[in-house]
Amino acid sequence: MHLVLAAILLVGPVRFHLPPLPAREAYGNVLIDRTTASGPVKAVTFSHWSHRTRYTCRVCHLELDFSFERNGTEITEEANRKGRYCGACHDGKTAFGHTAEHCDKCHAGDVVTADYKKVDALPWSLYGDGVNWTRALAAGAIKPLASLSGDVGGIQLDRTLTIEADWNFVPAAIFPHAEHERWLDCANCHPSIFNVKKKSTRQFSMRNILAGEFCGTCHRRVAFPLNDCRRCHPTMKNEPQL
Amino acid sequence: MRLRLGFLVLFLLSAASLFADQAAGTKKRRPLPDEFGNVVINNYSQKNNVAPVVFSHWLHRSKYSCRLCHVDIGFAMEVNGTGIREEDNRKGLYCGACHNGKYAFAAQTATCDRCHSSGKEVAHTDFAALTSGYPKGRFGNNVDWEQAEIAGKVKLIDTLPEVSVKRKPLDLQKDYSIEAKIDGLPQIIFSHKKHAVWSGCELCHPDIFSVKTGSTKYSMQDIFAGKYCGLCHGSVAFPAADCQRCHVKPV
Repeated sequence: MHLVLAAILLVGPVRFHLPPLPAREAYGNVLIDRTTASGPVKAVTFSHWSHRTRYTCRVCHLELDFSFERNGTEITEEANRKGRYCGACHDGKTAFGHTAEHCDKCHAGDVVTADYKKVDALPWSLYGDGVNWTRALAAGAIKPLASLSGDVGGIQLDRTLTIEADWNFVPAAIFPHAEHERWLDCANCHPSIFNVKKKSTRQFSMRNILAGEFCGTCHRRVAFPLNDCRRCHPTMKNEPQL
Repeated sequence: MRLRLGFLVLFLLSAASLFADQAAGTKKRRPLPDEFGNVVINNYSQKNNVAPVVFSHWLHRSKYSCRLCHVDIGFAMEVNGTGIREEDNRKGLYCGACHNGKYAFAAQTATCDRCHSSGKEVAHTDFAALTSGYPKGRFGNNVDWEQAEIAGKVKLIDTLPEVSVKRKPLDLQKDYSIEAKIDGLPQIIFSHKKHAVWSGCELCHPDIFSVKTGSTKYSMQDIFAGKYCGLCHGSVAFPAADCQRCHVKPV
């Protein structure tokens, strides 16, 4: 009995439980209700897909200092009006401003206000928000701005890593730095999500990724989800089940 | 029984391995620009029922070089590593070297709160107002301190007649490059000149960096862990996440 229990504790469940996927227009949406939860103003539903047609991840998550965690950023209406956070673009010039007639566009509660039609024609994907953003960018279908301040002299490290899977019937995963650099700054991932130590990859287990660590920081709720097995394990034979 | 013990050992070992490289995997909160480089000093404060001191590097480095405090005045580079006492300050040591009414406000009953401010709402120098005219940086205080000094926005005081012994400056070495360990990653250019303006020689040599070429071996891991360059670049000077500030020379 103890032996069986210990074996379960050590090995853990063998099946991966992928989180259920929402409708494509709801994928990547974030309900921001840090200060509005108990007040008279409705929460904001932020849509990633409507923003990433125009801006790369690094603009908001590096330059504007938005956290990768829901409600992890101390966004206030006052800060927005001073040109921080959302207000860096939502100032009435670049995008609609923080004025009374526009409140409802963001403060609409738990509903999607952005129009999915604007991404409908982009290269499609079976998973996530339904858009293959890598292809959309490569084909020039979108031209997202990489910086608000013109700071785009990032390091170009064209280095694709091969990460062997723990199980011998699962083919290796690949990690292309170049694809990620088109959207992100080195500092978005290094060193806090991925330390730069070689041979420390045994931590990137699917279980940890599914728990929202490592690749799962983005590839679970915003970037293409983990159901899209072959995007990372390109030689996987079986079509994953939906 | 032996079997059970064996499994317990195995279980503990596997649990320990989970925590071996735990400093990765999730995104950490970045300090706000006005929090970056702030240090809470609490050697004796709370034991004496006084609020701990919140020391802000950004405020002090807008006027003084790093060297003045960390070499001439003798502050450790480690939080709470100095063991500052109120009576030392009043004798003109440590904070008291400047906070004596001559260079900066003195330690008096009316001014206690200005430093012993942890957990209190205290009026202090406005970060935005102080730094608004400085060249912008990408991380840390969002200030490019190096350019701020070059542009003359920051005029550093490097010596105080009471504590410093003036001597002839040494000729500075030329910039040199350090090979990155990963193919395709730009080489690092290290400039003695840029560092010496703030730190002199003594802040780094010979404790942190030996002076024999190539004899101090360190990796990015060490730097991220707060050693070598990471002693300053991470907690006070621009953090190591600002890759392009050091990795500048294309291969």
